[in-house]
Amino acid sequence: MNKTEEQLAHDAKEAFDRSVDRLDAATLSRLNRSRQAALAEVARPNREWLRWMPATGVAAAVLLAVVVLRGAGDINSIGAPVADLDILLSEESIEMLEELEFYSWLDTQELEGDGDVG
Amino acid sequence: MTTDSLVFAVSCTAKPIGARILQKERQLGEFLAEVERRALRIAEIAVRDRDEAMDLVQDAMIKLARNYSGRGREEWPPLFYRILQNGVRDWHRRQMVRNRVMVWFQRSRSDDNDQDLIASAPDPIGRSPDEELQNSEAMRDMESAVHELPIRQREAFMLRTFEGLDVRGTAAAMGCSQGSVKTHYSRAVHTLREKLGEHWQ
Repeated sequence: MNKTEEQLAHDAKEAFDRSVDRLDAATLSRLNRSRQAALAEVARPNREWLRWMPATGVAAAVLLAVVVLRGAGDINSIGAPVADLDILLSEESIEMLEELEFYSWLDTQELEGDGDVG
Repeated sequence: MTTDSLVFAVSCTAKPIGARILQKERQLGEFLAEVERRALRIAEIAVRDRDEAMDLVQDAMIKLARNYSGRGREEWPPLFYRILQNGVRDWHRRQMVRNRVMVWFQRSRSDDNDQDLIASAPDPIGRSPDEELQNSEAMRDMESAVHELPIRQREAFMLRTFEGLDVRGTAAAMGCSQGSVKTHYSRAVHTLREKLGEHWQ
């Protein structure tokens, strides 16, 4: 940058600084109020995440609805697990579980009987 | 060192959250008080309207305080001016849209807003009327020439010359490379010298 450009930048800065010094009291007062309003934001907790709450809630509700509806539609096609559930919930099955040792003994007796026949 | 003495030592050295916030608030207040007047004038030269410039500066202050008050003091100048420059660019975009709509409805803009606020402001320094007139005219010529620069050249010139940011800080504020800042600045000074002439001021 040659001398003329340096001088121009220098003179421009001087003119600008003078215009800054000449700002009127009303403008300075407005700037002061703006600064105080900005500083009030420092102590305020950041609630940016609150903006996403409605969207998150809707997404969660949709996901829950999909899971519930798909789950209800698939109950009949599950097959084996549902059958197991029926067995477990039936009276007979519970009795069988209670007398598991008896059935185990009965099974061994039958095997021994088969051996005698053979 | 026992656990009790360690807890005591930590509690003595660590500042409470409230004290840290107060300290940060004080530092930010000092920074904003330091830059606010120059920022207002820079925005005013860019948009040619003091009320609009005031809104842009206030918006930049609030965004800086809300989002970047936790950053270091040395990071604030480029961040603040980046927010302000983005605000100025958005303002120009809105103006373009508004002007297109106005043209569509064949309305002409009123020239009432071209009031010279500098000429009507009192001089607190107490210069003579001749000096005052000369300074006002010189500043008005310079403002007009700077305003007519392409937006990137104007930003580079104002941030480097008026705000005194270095090339690195200006690049951060403008969101471009340091090489681009040097190019824009050089072109801006060259254009201003041609427009204002060798004997300006």
